[in-house]
Amino acid sequence: MNPRVILITGANGCIGQAIARSFLQESAENQIWLGIHSRLEQAEKLAKESPDHCRVISLDVTKPDSWKAAVAEILALHKRLDVLVNNAGHHEDALLAIMPLDSWQRILALNLDGVFHGCQAVLPAMIGQRHGRIINIASLSALLAPAGQTNYAAAKAGVLALTQSLAKEVARIGITVNAVCPGYVDSATPAMEEAQRKRALERIPMRRFGQPCEVAAAVRFLACGEAGYITGSTLKIDGGIF
Amino acid sequence: MSNPELNLQIKRLMVENLMLQITAEEIADDIPMFGPGGLGLDSVDALQLVVALDKNYGLKISDAEAAKGILQNVNTIAAAIEQKAQAAG
Repeated sequence: MNPRVILITGANGCIGQAIARSFLQESAENQIWLGIHSRLEQAEKLAKESPDHCRVISLDVTKPDSWKAAVAEILALHKRLDVLVNNAGHHEDALLAIMPLDSWQRILALNLDGVFHGCQAVLPAMIGQRHGRIINIASLSALLAPAGQTNYAAAKAGVLALTQSLAKEVARIGITVNAVCPGYVDSATPAMEEAQRKRALERIPMRRFGQPCEVAAAVRFLACGEAGYITGSTLKIDGGIF
Repeated sequence: MSNPELNLQIKRLMVENLMLQITAEEIADDIPMFGPGGLGLDSVDALQLVVALDKNYGLKISDAEAAKGILQNVNTIAAAIEQKAQAAG
């Protein structure tokens, strides 16, 4: 496989880390950029492990100018950008009746606007290359819409709709746009109490949480050449929930 | 003043980037890009053309209004490229 230039947002979290490691395993020549706004420590550790192939780049996904600067820096060095993984995300759960407006806006800005800004920032380069892979990390919440997650579920459902619509726009230019919906993933939900975890396990047919590497494997597949005819799709990684 | 060489370059760029099923020589200088009786390009073609013009000539088309004026036909694209070159020179 030809070495590729890959930008992963939210690369300090366990899923972002797993995705980065997966691409490093795919080819030692891949160039991975870890887009980080705050909480740098894990991303910096990974970058230190593979200094020639993994770099941390400052990126606030909610700010178009931040995207512009990050993409310009990547293109200045590599002259191309093959894969964008929109992984940055966060949730602030509350019942809608008492949800602060700024919580609604913050979650929409990070989880949905961030994907919009990211796609807009990378598309000129991908159109010029006539090739590109965009993988948006949504959530099972987009499909199940659980109580207490109106902001997060709406944002992630928006990501799925954006994915499908954009996929149609750029399909004939050789750019694919897909989404993955992780369900319960180990260590992505560290705040979960034991009782909550037990209830969650009862809902999962496989009776176990997913591993970050299992989400990463799906992302890597959607980014690979063999997945070139897959676009606008949503891949659930949830142990069979539904 | 029309520049036949530049016009031909633009036509080749269009054929290559938009994967048109005609040759560059078959594209008239004044044939409309969009709409009936024209080349039948659509908004995705326009997007590709904007990126290709930026990449090849540094011509930045930053809004829809500018695009409407510049992307009318090969002559208008050539005029925008020449205007940019003169402004830079």
